[in-house]
Amino acid sequence: MTADLEATATPAPPAGQQNPGGGKVLEAMTVSRFAPFRNTVITIVNLSTFFVLWELLAKAQIINPLFFPEISDTFSAIWNGFADGIIGPQLWHSFRNFMIGLAISAAIGIPLGLLMGAIRTLDLILSPYVWAMAALPRVAFIPLLILILGFGQSMQLTIIVLSAVFPIMVNCMAGVKTVDPSLIRAGKVFGASRLQMYVKIILPFTLPFVISGINQGIARGLVGMLIGELLGGGGAGLGFLLDRAGDRFDAPMLYGTLLILAVFSVALVQSMRYLERRVAPWREVPKG
Amino acid sequence: MRPATSTQLAPQPRQSGTSSHEVLVCAEGLTAGYENRRDKTRLIALRNVSLDVRRGEFLAIVGPSGCGKTTFINMINGFVKPLEGSITVDGKPVKGPSSDRAMVFQDYALLPWRTVESNIAFAMENRRPRPPKDEQARRIAEVLEMVSLTGFEKSYPHELSGGMRQRVGIARALVTQPTILLMDEPFGAVDAMTREAMQAELEKIIAKTRQTVVFITHSIEEAVTLGDRVVVVSNRPGQIKEVVDVDLPRPRFDAEVKTSARFAELREHIWSLLAREALGAKREGEA
Repeated sequence: MTADLEATATPAPPAGQQNPGGGKVLEAMTVSRFAPFRNTVITIVNLSTFFVLWELLAKAQIINPLFFPEISDTFSAIWNGFADGIIGPQLWHSFRNFMIGLAISAAIGIPLGLLMGAIRTLDLILSPYVWAMAALPRVAFIPLLILILGFGQSMQLTIIVLSAVFPIMVNCMAGVKTVDPSLIRAGKVFGASRLQMYVKIILPFTLPFVISGINQGIARGLVGMLIGELLGGGGAGLGFLLDRAGDRFDAPMLYGTLLILAVFSVALVQSMRYLERRVAPWREVPKG
Repeated sequence: MRPATSTQLAPQPRQSGTSSHEVLVCAEGLTAGYENRRDKTRLIALRNVSLDVRRGEFLAIVGPSGCGKTTFINMINGFVKPLEGSITVDGKPVKGPSSDRAMVFQDYALLPWRTVESNIAFAMENRRPRPPKDEQARRIAEVLEMVSLTGFEKSYPHELSGGMRQRVGIARALVTQPTILLMDEPFGAVDAMTREAMQAELEKIIAKTRQTVVFITHSIEEAVTLGDRVVVVSNRPGQIKEVVDVDLPRPRFDAEVKTSARFAELREHIWSLLAREALGAKREGEA
């Protein structure tokens, strides 16, 4: 990892270029063969320690096992849950709902946000509603949505979209508005038309904002998904699993579902962060 | 004012600069400012400025911050419309940015998602007629050679040092072979050592291309080092105090020009013109 940074931080000078003082600019250096795996090893050791401590603490039964089950029980609950087809369909239900909701949010939020950033009048007209909706806690909509849409999938989807669309919109808008004015001037000096200005300067500049908007949309959308499944009934999804496990005092299942949710969220957020880095490498601080 | 006012210093024969006095940019009675509609006020940045830029000369404009230097260059560029007065380039009135006027920015203004060569290509790809791809590549190679960046075609701006980034900025401005090169404090953001090196290189490039340059700086030393003429501008609203002919031989980095008595004399003279402004501005700032 460190070796990797060192190699990319300084631009590779043309091959064979020599310093006037003598000596090559780019020198070979020795790096341990295990250096690339260092972080992975640390993570594995870290997590194993965490689970072992959990197991020991639970075995000691200092805390009521109803609230704090052994991790081995939790893992076996997950295993059995998948084997018996209890978890799988619910996970798929949540995942599919979430992805559809996110796609709808992006399809609405990105163009609308970009337009709001570009057209001042549109911004003035829409911003009171956007900010009110962005600030209102999502749970507040649940009774109304149940009244209109009833229990079930359409209501769950709506709450995901309502949660995710506003952060996406607001970030896209901010991206367009914060385009470096000197880049705009450079565009004008070098003859970019209005369309070229959007395609070549404003959109590429905004892309990282769009991605961090989607990132926030994911975080908010996950909350929306769970609210919908916990409060919206419908008998499906990870939220439903949580609800049912709670009703049955099934602590291992409860913890197991939470673990699955954690993995689910981390995977989504990390993949977006990876994308963010790939799309805008210049925003990374080169050192430190 | 017309360059009628020459320096009060002992007249010396011109050893450098332009042989012909063909006027390229003609600004007459320019007043410019920024309107604040809410307060119903105008901030006057420049008042009644007349100035010619001659073809092939290096014109340095020096003055304190906020004296309207940048406004002036932006009027040549076509970003800012004068409130009063007229400005023509090559006999044609300025209506907006055009390919015959290129600019180098203080903060480089490179597109961070583009490589060095792609950033330079940006100057050629927007306007029509667009040069064919192989012609573009040839010109990019040529300007990169000129600014000593050959080998960095595929690098991204964030991988380069400040000085190298500004070389890309200069290459981008030169690639279209503009009639006039506008430079807005191009070395203001680089460190002192790089700055000297960049000045020397710029002098070399200009000597080769005979490029007309309008160069803004707040460094008197830089103005005297680079300029054929130095326009001294007073504080807001900006007015021309004097146009000083710099009669130093070129190249100014090769011989011991910068240590010569004449260099010091010119620098002192310009400082004396600006000293009160600088001190006055400071007192105003303190109040």
